Amino acid sequence: MNFKGTLPTLILETLAHETSHGYRIAQQIKERSEGILDFKEGTLYPALHKLENEGMVESYEGMEKGRPRRYYRITKSGRGALTRDRAEWRELSRAMTTILGEA
Amino acid sequence: MAATITTAMATTGLDSWLQQATRCLAKDSTAQVQSEIREHYELARESAMNGGASADEADRLAVAALGDAKTANRQYRNVLLTSREARMLRQGNWEAQAICSRSWIKWVLLIAAAAAVFSGNEFLLRGSIMLAWKLFAGGIVIGLLFAAPFLPVYTRLGGRVFRGVRWVAMLTMLGLAFGPDAPKWSWLLFSCLWMVARPEWTRASIRRKLPVAEWPRHLYL
Repeated sequence: MNFKGTLPTLILETLAHETSHGYRIAQQIKERSEGILDFKEGTLYPALHKLENEGMVESYEGMEKGRPRRYYRITKSGRGALTRDRAEWRELSRAMTTILGEA
Repeated sequence: MAATITTAMATTGLDSWLQQATRCLAKDSTAQVQSEIREHYELARESAMNGGASADEADRLAVAALGDAKTANRQYRNVLLTSREARMLRQGNWEAQAICSRSWIKWVLLIAAAAAVFSGNEFLLRGSIMLAWKLFAGGIVIGLLFAAPFLPVYTRLGGRVFRGVRWVAMLTMLGLAFGPDAPKWSWLLFSCLWMVARPEWTRASIRRKLPVAEWPRHLYL
């Protein structure tokens, strides 16, 4: 299942827990959604670059098992955006449940 | 031997994916995409092999997980610099370069702007209001190009206001110059505006993609 436009929020949510690299971010989204939320991993990096351009995340070079990796971490402005996104999602979810729950 | 051949085939699959995904991207952007996707691919491949997949199956799965290369390319082009944008960033602002390349052009344009404003004033006093406005607008547009380095335009907001004022002044000048004949000359107007609007559009795209701290001075104008 792929909800259009939700990937940036999912990335921010993942990074709010810990600093991570692209592959781990993708795996965590899939694992935490118990495999329900699926997306093509090639689209993860454009979304990460967009968030970086907007100042929501920042990246740095790190090492893992002797290999260089690009790590991403959430910024203060990213945490603010995540709080807003969470509130919007709760509203939307409540509205959808009200409508569909009655159907 | 067979394993080497299948690995080579899969690498070709990744190479072909990367080739499509980096189409029209600038050299630096291409290098960045290649590095992050290869890193991702290696981890995905390693993980699949740890899960019991054979080498060629792991290669196939890792490339398939990346999804459609054309879609990725479309998304990359929205966030990373394309070769056209990188070229524009290197070459800078061609209008400014054309003017600054010969010092006499600067003086001619500066005198033209002052002359337009002065004669506009004269015509206003003589009652030729329409002609006076045309000259004022022309003088302001040319004057704005020179005034930019002395104005507080090198901030995000300052630059935005400056560009807005410049466009309004330019459109006003064209409107005044052509007046009611504008629809008749629309083909000429559109051709002229297209030449100005296209690089402006590209610059807007670069502004969106680059962090403000990395903007060269000409990007504010």
